[in-house]
Amino acid sequence: MINLLQALLSGLALGGIYALVALGFSITHTTTKTLNFGQGEFLVVGSLVAVGTLLLLSGKSHTGVLAATDVSLLHYGLAMLVSLTALGALGVILYFTAVRPFLGSTGMSWVMSTIGFGIILQNTALAIWGPGSMAMPSPLGEEVLRLGGAGIRPQEILVLLVTAVVMLILDYVLRRTKIGKAVRAVAANREAAALMGINVAAIVVLAFVVSSGLAGLAGLLIAPITTASVFMGLAIALKAFSAAIVGGLTSPRGCIAGGFLLGCIEALVGLWRAEMREITIFALIIVVLVIKPEGLFGQKPFEKV
Amino acid sequence: MFKYRTHSKKLSLLAAALAIGCALAAPARAQDIKVGFNADQSGTGAAELGIAARHGFDLAIEDINKAGGVLGRKLVGIVRDDTGQPPKSIQNMTELIDSEKVVAVVGPTNSGNALAWLHLPQQKKVPVIVPVATATDITRRYTGEAQNYIFRVSMVDREQVALLLAYAVKASKSKKIAFIADSTGFGQQGVKDLTEVLAMHGQQPVAVEKFGPKDTDMTSQLGKIRDAGADTVVVYGLADANAQLLRSMEKINYFPVTLGTWGNMSTPLLNIAGKKLSEHIIFATSTAEDSNPRAIALAARVRERFPQMPTFVAAAQSYDSMMLLSAAIRQAGTTDGAKIAATLESGVADTQGIIKLYRKPFSKAEHDALAVSDFHLARWKDGKVAAYSDSITKSFTSADFKK
Repeated sequence: MINLLQALLSGLALGGIYALVALGFSITHTTTKTLNFGQGEFLVVGSLVAVGTLLLLSGKSHTGVLAATDVSLLHYGLAMLVSLTALGALGVILYFTAVRPFLGSTGMSWVMSTIGFGIILQNTALAIWGPGSMAMPSPLGEEVLRLGGAGIRPQEILVLLVTAVVMLILDYVLRRTKIGKAVRAVAANREAAALMGINVAAIVVLAFVVSSGLAGLAGLLIAPITTASVFMGLAIALKAFSAAIVGGLTSPRGCIAGGFLLGCIEALVGLWRAEMREITIFALIIVVLVIKPEGLFGQKPFEKV
Repeated sequence: MFKYRTHSKKLSLLAAALAIGCALAAPARAQDIKVGFNADQSGTGAAELGIAARHGFDLAIEDINKAGGVLGRKLVGIVRDDTGQPPKSIQNMTELIDSEKVVAVVGPTNSGNALAWLHLPQQKKVPVIVPVATATDITRRYTGEAQNYIFRVSMVDREQVALLLAYAVKASKSKKIAFIADSTGFGQQGVKDLTEVLAMHGQQPVAVEKFGPKDTDMTSQLGKIRDAGADTVVVYGLADANAQLLRSMEKINYFPVTLGTWGNMSTPLLNIAGKKLSEHIIFATSTAEDSNPRAIALAARVRERFPQMPTFVAAAQSYDSMMLLSAAIRQAGTTDGAKIAATLESGVADTQGIIKLYRKPFSKAEHDALAVSDFHLARWKDGKVAAYSDSITKSFTSADFKK
């Protein structure tokens, strides 16, 4: 019973990260019908920039080792600011260099160009930070909190809280504000939105900034749990993409639900047989794609004639 | 036409620069004896072992040359980094043997890389002494051939398993021992060795669990091990994953006696698990920095070049590898690979190394200079690796070490 609770807690924390990255996929997909397949590498850059900033703030070299005292809440906040700014800027560059040239043209050029952009980022990070994994102590300390016999770390609670807050904010912005309506209008019909006086170009750039920023935020949040390393992106991005598919790529709420669902399934299958986790998750993806291609929470695409 | 000319000018300049660069980088003269070093010093979680080994190798050469060299000639080390990649390691090996014409090679760091290129030195009759990689098969693959060219002065997987289980069997009060290993070849081979050796003690593991090398939460697997009633766990993974395992133990508040391989001597364990948690895992090692005056002196010299060195043992093993090689070259009176290998095997003169005095370390059947009797247990203490002993280690007799 304790094992079950423990698995659920661990699964929720991991699922929160999948959910954040999945949201990033959803946002660019709904506005431009493209995805940033380099999302995993954006997450890597987010966490490494944060680690680097924390190290520089502590007066160490950017490849040094962080001590627990180097990661105060203030420094973590500053690192978040730097990381999100850098990632937002990268989102703009990504859009103008790797997505816009191919928008509207048939074919899959943007798939290759976003993957390529990610590989460029990854290798740049490799040149700066090297291949090793870098530990980042949590700003909230490492003391394990006990919950009915199961343990959870403060950082994992932070991941859950931030995911919930980001979800609520995005939900509110998308449904209740003017800018959110503009985003949804662009998603629904670019030409019509442009005719209604919406600055489609600006909305699309914004979508990429938010999408990259979410990847960066995920990287920053997960680094104290998994350590930051150049090679951690792909596995997380693949699972996050799966979460988006399961939940529904067109539905932000679906992406969040998909993320948590996948995290929990992974942890629960681990209770049974650890080596079956990936098999189960990707088998589930195939099943969902066959039975409900639009995802559990997605809307069926329909064309009005 | 004009374009072509500038190009060729640039090219010739480049060629000249390269020629000068090469001349500066390789001061080796024809009469020097070249020895290759090929090991990961940057790529994998074991890179720190490779860096320490390189400094041990360099310092041994420095000492040998100070004492007059070998056969009246100077020794020159040719160092290559294989970044932990098998293709790169093979390429380095070919270059060292065919272009640099090295007499012998010291390396590599990673077992997988060694297994990828063993056939090259074996076919070309170039003796190799492995200073780091631990896979049991490395020194045994060519045992059946007329001359096996692969030797080792390092930890050997089967031997460290013998030590770990000797401890585990005595430490476990409930006689319930569990294994947990990463899903790579390294971890799974380890489980195989562990299971076989535990059977020699007349026991079966109560649980065998797996984790991915990049996993960060092993609470599920540990929960099952706890439910199986195990009070002693042997972990077969690399330092970063093992650190996550320790963190997961903390999470579920389950702290069985935890034993691991010498891979735990890498800083990722310390950095990820933190000082306090890292002290919980006990692991096998061949020598500690403070085990004798020779080790203390060498450690101080390596620290001058590699201040943050976490793993002295690789430097000591590499230093001893080079000392044994030079003794064999001296005794063989030639740089011929076949004769050097034969000398190493048939009885190289007593050689004082850092770890011990080597008396006939190799024979036709035994290409490992170190065995379980040379190993002892250690753990992290206050951010440094320190020898570990308690009433159990003091009670060890040779009958406890089954392999």
